Amino acid sequence: MNILCVNWGDKYGREYVEKLKQQCEENCSVPFNFYCLTDKPTEDYDRQLPTTWDKYENGKFWAYKKLYMFNESQFGITGKNFLYLDLDVIIHQDLKYFFELPMDNPWIVRGWWNDIEVCKKNFAKFKSTPINSSIIRWNSNQLIEVYNHIEKNIDTIFFTYPTIDNYLNHFFYDMYGDKSFFNIFPIGDVYSWYKGNVFPDDMESKKLRKECKVCLFNNSGETNDVEELKSLWNI
Amino acid sequence: MEYLKYTPELANDWKNALSSSESYLFKRVMDSMNQSQLESKLWIIQELIKLKIKPKRVAILAGWYAQYIVPLLYDNFESLQFVENYEIDQDVIRLSYKFNKRLKEDKKYRITIRNVMFDKIQEGWHPVHKLGMDTIINCSCEHMYPMCRFREINESILKNPLYILQSSNDRQYDDHINCVDGVDELTDQANIVDVMYSGEKQLSNGMTRYMVIGR
Repeated sequence: MNILCVNWGDKYGREYVEKLKQQCEENCSVPFNFYCLTDKPTEDYDRQLPTTWDKYENGKFWAYKKLYMFNESQFGITGKNFLYLDLDVIIHQDLKYFFELPMDNPWIVRGWWNDIEVCKKNFAKFKSTPINSSIIRWNSNQLIEVYNHIEKNIDTIFFTYPTIDNYLNHFFYDMYGDKSFFNIFPIGDVYSWYKGNVFPDDMESKKLRKECKVCLFNNSGETNDVEELKSLWNI
Repeated sequence: MEYLKYTPELANDWKNALSSSESYLFKRVMDSMNQSQLESKLWIIQELIKLKIKPKRVAILAGWYAQYIVPLLYDNFESLQFVENYEIDQDVIRLSYKFNKRLKEDKKYRITIRNVMFDKIQEGWHPVHKLGMDTIINCSCEHMYPMCRFREINESILKNPLYILQSSNDRQYDDHINCVDGVDELTDQANIVDVMYSGEKQLSNGMTRYMVIGR
């Protein structure tokens, strides 16, 4: 089992990586290797992020560096099972759950806190995406199709999509049916600290839900209150 | 041409479309029917008539509900055989077919879900496709990557079609990802070398709209 995170730039310091690693060690009952894909490798578990796509960076397509991991073979990480976690999460339950999912398709978060009618209404406006890439579970080679799609259409993708979640929603998730490339984690697995759990009935923000597996601190690209997250690490 | 023919058949289709719109879509439908939307579509028809162009097989890119442009084309060009609207918004399908029901039933209008900046437009399902689209209309250039990309993707199936392109300089909306500051920029983005018409128009909503017609 491999658990990955990605860290680049200055938004999150090393303490976030260390805290995520610690949370995994405390909340994963199956053996795993932890890796951090980073632009500044310093530890044994760090792997250097490529810079291939940097020349297309235009201030949009937020967090594109996460997508390098979709071709996991370029990092020399062996093994079949991969779980990606954002740095700003709080793990409540045993991560073994994610490694026991049926793997006919890779898995990703659907933000159940979103009003799906708003998501549909704003689809063509590149807003209000229900897909959230804060947690992704895949087996080796399952995401290479996405990686190759990006490589083939890189100019257009960087020009068009404001975030990787919006891009994934446009090409690899079907809000209208069940023919999606990605499976989505069931209701109640993952919730958002700032946005709630399930629309419209369980939307209280800034509420811990320890019965869920993981809490996300996603905030639509706005600056997260990192002190708030750090205070919750000690719960 | 300064008006849309509001025939009894069109009135019936529109009534059915508007009365069946989901509540969460209703504002979008209203936005698609405002004064500026009609002005920009009438502008196309007026210039095509002046140029004595007779479109036969038309691909509309990102045509939204297409409740103005499709009847305007059929009412003004006897040459017209078929219109296909390529959209990315699945919610558009049902309502666009309601607005254009009479034409859909006559197999004169179809809507296909496709991102035209990633996949080539269709060839095949309708007999006229074997002849290829001769006219490409895109009134939404500000919403997408420059049209050179579309030309590149469809190079193998399009035989030097006529392009009718509109865009704007209105950058206040997040989804206006490709605004231009003049018609020359729009022309350059599409690699159009034979310009038959180019111009700009101030619409009633205050937006400056640019249009180029050429190959």
